[in-house]
Amino acid sequence: MLTLIVLLPLLGFLLNGILATQLGGNRVGKPFVIAVGCGLPLLAFALVVNLVFDLQARGWTPLVETAYRWATVGDSQFEIAFYFDRLSAVMALVVTGVGSVIHIYSVGYMAHDKSFGRFFAYLNLFLFFMLLLVLGRSLLVLFVGWEGVGLASYLLIGFWYDDLANARAGKKAFITNRIGDAGFLLGMFVLFQALGTLDMDRINAAFAFTGASAPAVSASLVGILLFIGATGKSAQIPLHVWLPDAMAGPTPVSALIHAATMVTAGVYLVARMSGVYLQAPEASMVIAVIGVATAFFAATVAMVQTDIKKVLAYSTVSQLGFMFLALGVGAYGVAIFHVVTHAFFKACLFLGAGSVIHALGGEQDLRKMGGLAGRIPVTFITFAVSTAAIAGLPPLAGFFSKDEILWYALASSSGGSVLLFGVAALTALMTAFYMFRLLWLAFLGRSRMEPEVEHHVHESPWSMTGVLLLLAVLSAVGGFIAVPQFLAPQLPLPAVQETMQHFHRPLLVLSVLLALGGLAGAAYVFGGPPARAEALRARYAGLHRWLSGKYFIDELYEWLIGRPLVWVSDRVFLRLGDRRVLDGALDGMAALGQRGAALLGRVQTGQLHLYAWLVLIGIVGALLWSWRHV
Amino acid sequence: MDKTQLLLGLAVSLFALGLLGVIVRRNVLVMLMCLELMLNGVILSLVTFAYQTATTVGAVLVFLVFVVATAEIALAIPIVLLLVREKRTLNLDAYNELKG
Amino acid sequence: MIDTLLQSLDTLLLVAFSLCALVGAALMLVLRQPMRVAIALISTMIFLGGIYGLLGVHFIAAFQVLIYVGAVMLFMVYVIMLLEVREATEAPYSRLLWPGLAGFVLLVGTIGISIWRGAPPPAAVADGTTFGISRFSVSFLNEYWLHFELTSVLLLAAVVAAVAVIKVSRKADSKRRHG
Repeated sequence: MLTLIVLLPLLGFLLNGILATQLGGNRVGKPFVIAVGCGLPLLAFALVVNLVFDLQARGWTPLVETAYRWATVGDSQFEIAFYFDRLSAVMALVVTGVGSVIHIYSVGYMAHDKSFGRFFAYLNLFLFFMLLLVLGRSLLVLFVGWEGVGLASYLLIGFWYDDLANARAGKKAFITNRIGDAGFLLGMFVLFQALGTLDMDRINAAFAFTGASAPAVSASLVGILLFIGATGKSAQIPLHVWLPDAMAGPTPVSALIHAATMVTAGVYLVARMSGVYLQAPEASMVIAVIGVATAFFAATVAMVQTDIKKVLAYSTVSQLGFMFLALGVGAYGVAIFHVVTHAFFKACLFLGAGSVIHALGGEQDLRKMGGLAGRIPVTFITFAVSTAAIAGLPPLAGFFSKDEILWYALASSSGGSVLLFGVAALTALMTAFYMFRLLWLAFLGRSRMEPEVEHHVHESPWSMTGVLLLLAVLSAVGGFIAVPQFLAPQLPLPAVQETMQHFHRPLLVLSVLLALGGLAGAAYVFGGPPARAEALRARYAGLHRWLSGKYFIDELYEWLIGRPLVWVSDRVFLRLGDRRVLDGALDGMAALGQRGAALLGRVQTGQLHLYAWLVLIGIVGALLWSWRHV
Repeated sequence: MDKTQLLLGLAVSLFALGLLGVIVRRNVLVMLMCLELMLNGVILSLVTFAYQTATTVGAVLVFLVFVVATAEIALAIPIVLLLVREKRTLNLDAYNELKG
Repeated sequence: MIDTLLQSLDTLLLVAFSLCALVGAALMLVLRQPMRVAIALISTMIFLGGIYGLLGVHFIAAFQVLIYVGAVMLFMVYVIMLLEVREATEAPYSRLLWPGLAGFVLLVGTIGISIWRGAPPPAAVADGTTFGISRFSVSFLNEYWLHFELTSVLLLAAVVAAVAVIKVSRKADSKRRHG
């Protein structure tokens, strides 16, 4: 059954990829593409739901299914096996569920695109690899899925490849991922050498032993190495640079891959390997610090972005930072909870943004929007609900998950501290602020649109608004799905420090206040006349420039890494290595032959005297040779 | 040092002197004559071996060598004549068209 | 050894003829004018003929003088006279004089040592009748008749070549006169 679930999207990829693209001659029409491209993921979702009920009937003991023995090397076996337990169930439901609705949304969004079939083929391919990732039993299968979603991401970011900038963004995403993957691979090597297996359940079990029978490798080392991989995939500092550029892809792609599923793969990895991280306090601290730093940093940048999708991209980076913060303090179940709620409201936000872009005929600049609330009401309402959810207003989904994160950041006995909490709380405030800023600039206030654009503003078709409504409802009520408690038997919640026990109630109130504070701030600055926002910007012009430039990190990387690499490639490898050494060696050998021949040709002087003398020498030589046997 | 060794030594010396002459002398005609000297050295060695082994094989070979030598000189000299008429010199250094 | 030498006139003559032949050969390399070189060669050949006679192969000695000196060297002398080479203004030796001498020493040394080491003792001494012309001609025409026929073919080829050379030389002449 698990194998079937994984293979269904692959089948969709093959069918659409071959029949519905230029490769196969565009043999089928749109209805076929839609049927295969949306139908198969929906079927997979249904099968996952069915499987969850099966799991419940079995008392939640994990399901293991071996599909294929890949290789046998010495004493070790490498199998393609699938593993279904509570964590996999949650992830699979999100992936297939949210994935399927985004597929449906794409029907409307990409309706006029000339590569309709190719888009659905790539989406299905992504879904296949993502399912490999979340359902795989061993790190090897996970890694195949890991790389595969990177590939699908590259293909989809650069979907409109006629524009070179899109292709470059795709390349940047892939390469940045690969850098993280180096750490991941090293972690796999270390684990395999120490334990002889890459099956994640076995690894967690092995690390549960402490003292004499503990594994012969530092858990922190493994933890850090695997986290480096997660940094690349989940866009944490310092490998976050690819996510904002990835907005070059179509909006459903941004929603599915860069909000709901692929970027959460890092979170899933750490949560899955909780057995290792429970024994690695140093690694956990690193994760928490990087998580909260990323969250803070991305929130500051999001406050000044002018592209609607870029705001959402930085918001995603920031929310991922929150998830890693939760992982770092031991609250693995809470992090997964945030993954689920984030999938709901972030997908809704991105798809809403897509709806806005669709309505405006391609405009993405916030400075040219405004006053859309009345014109595209469904989009506005769903967008507003999701914004409230991400800001943390109760009783919407984001409130519950974010509040849990803040609580454990403060009070967890495995790493919680006031400092972490302080930064996280500040970030929460900023999150509310910039999200409501987005809402105001895009939908409310006076219209700043171009006249021709304003003329053609229209609500999106039902394939798009229907999905928006569904996701908005889930953002509203999703918080009541008690994910952490559901996962607790597998991913236990960390113990709370005694001194912090009684701060729980006040913290709840503080969370609400932060959300409302952000709302009020945004309403004040951006809800009033434009001069207010302008004055604020003018007062902090330097800071504004610094934030707008994203702290100039891309430029730093280019100067620090990009330019030296290009220099080395050009000077050392191209000019020295390739031209001088390799070509020189080949040319040298040819020249050697030529010069040698020329040298030998000097024997033929045409003078008979020389020839006769050579005959004499030859005779002497032959005679001396014949003396060997005398 | 018996007869055979003496004669063989003489034959070798004649051969070597002839070869030296081919290498050393510039005049074409002198070179031809040194070739004949080499041939005489070979004939002497053949005769010595015939004498030594008391068979007639050596003498027969000598007879045939005479024939060949005659035929050779009958043709070599006209060729040299023609060449000399072309080049108008008897200096062998002028005959180097096979250079390179 | 000197006693035996002195006692045997035969051996004395052999040594004397050998020395003279050697001197004549050496003179060939030293003399400047071609005619003088030809005379030296003729003298060497005649001394060689004497050696053959002392060894008992009289008809070979006769052929040496008749054919080699009488035909080959005469032809050579005619050509020298035809080309009227008298002057010896240019240097007689080529550029390879010293390398040539070195090679000469090497060659003589190498062969000399080979002979000195490995010469087998004489198997049988030939008497006068071994190389008598009757016995020679009988064995020649019985066992080596094929070689005889082949040399006649060779002579035919030489005649044809001579005719061809005449034709070439006539053509060259006419081209020079009329071309």
